[in-house]
Amino acid sequence: MKTDNVSVAGLRRGGMVLTLIGLAGLLLLFWLSFFWVSTEIRQGIVQRIFYVHVPAAWTAFLAFGISALCSAVYLWLRDDRLDRAAACAAEGGLVFATIMLTTGPLWGKIAWGTYWTWEPRLTLTLLLWFIYLGYFMVRHSTEDPEKGKRFAAVVAIVGALDIPFIHLSVLWFRSLHPQPVVVKPEGPTLPGDMLTTLMTGLAVFTVIFFGLFLFRYALEGLRAEADLRARQSTA
Amino acid sequence: MVFLHFVRSLLFRPLTPLRIVGCGVALSALFVCASAALAGAGAQEMGNLPQVPATPSLRPYWHVFAAYAIAIALIGGWAFSIARRLRDVEDRLTQQGE
Repeated sequence: MKTDNVSVAGLRRGGMVLTLIGLAGLLLLFWLSFFWVSTEIRQGIVQRIFYVHVPAAWTAFLAFGISALCSAVYLWLRDDRLDRAAACAAEGGLVFATIMLTTGPLWGKIAWGTYWTWEPRLTLTLLLWFIYLGYFMVRHSTEDPEKGKRFAAVVAIVGALDIPFIHLSVLWFRSLHPQPVVVKPEGPTLPGDMLTTLMTGLAVFTVIFFGLFLFRYALEGLRAEADLRARQSTA
Repeated sequence: MVFLHFVRSLLFRPLTPLRIVGCGVALSALFVCASAALAGAGAQEMGNLPQVPATPSLRPYWHVFAAYAIAIALIGGWAFSIARRLRDVEDRLTQQGE
């Protein structure tokens, strides 16, 4: 079966390969995190949450960025494939943002003494999560599906504008979050083994996201096909 | 068993023993090669690291395990949610085709 110009079997095959590579990488990441990487001297063992928290944040921002980009081009070209890709990426972004927002407080409880505080980065990240939750609510809130897609595309673009502020908030405001240790003009200041583990985490989460994204995109294609058949049979 | 059924429903029809062994060997090789390469690259850094202090309590361990468990649960939950919805929409398409 084909959805648009891409076969569902091809999407599934690609998704399966990427997901299996991602799962193997996840095992590697866990081994690196628990048995290989050195323990940070000030925070101790709890700092190892870093290796899932930061990759989840990176993947969420990547997914929301893809969603915003596809949404912007959808508003221009009105191609349904772009809208589907935007919705799939937004759903993945929401999953990884939830990982980020739940693992962070577990780390913060030990490092800062509190699960949550309304500091700029946490507040802006929670705002981003709610904006993309709103994306799905807006999408299904109109009787005309085309109007819902357009409104949701605008929400996705507005939501993505929050991402640079989240990154820069630790530089602009007083924040409990540490300053960047990787993306810096003078280069990363993390020790080599921590940087290796972090980069492995970034790669693994990204591969898993794209693997599941392909499955999700195949699902949207099949759903559009089923809706089309239903409309044709009604007509 | 459930995982095999999941894999089967997503891609391989039929799931032959050769394919299972092939996937297992490929993933194991990938895992071993990546581990060896990364361990070798990072080993040079290990000599300069500060000594690890004694952990004051066991409480942080639970926070670390909970964080990793949450990550696995949410990613796995998303994967199973997609698989379930794929099966539903395929059933719908099959019914429409009949």
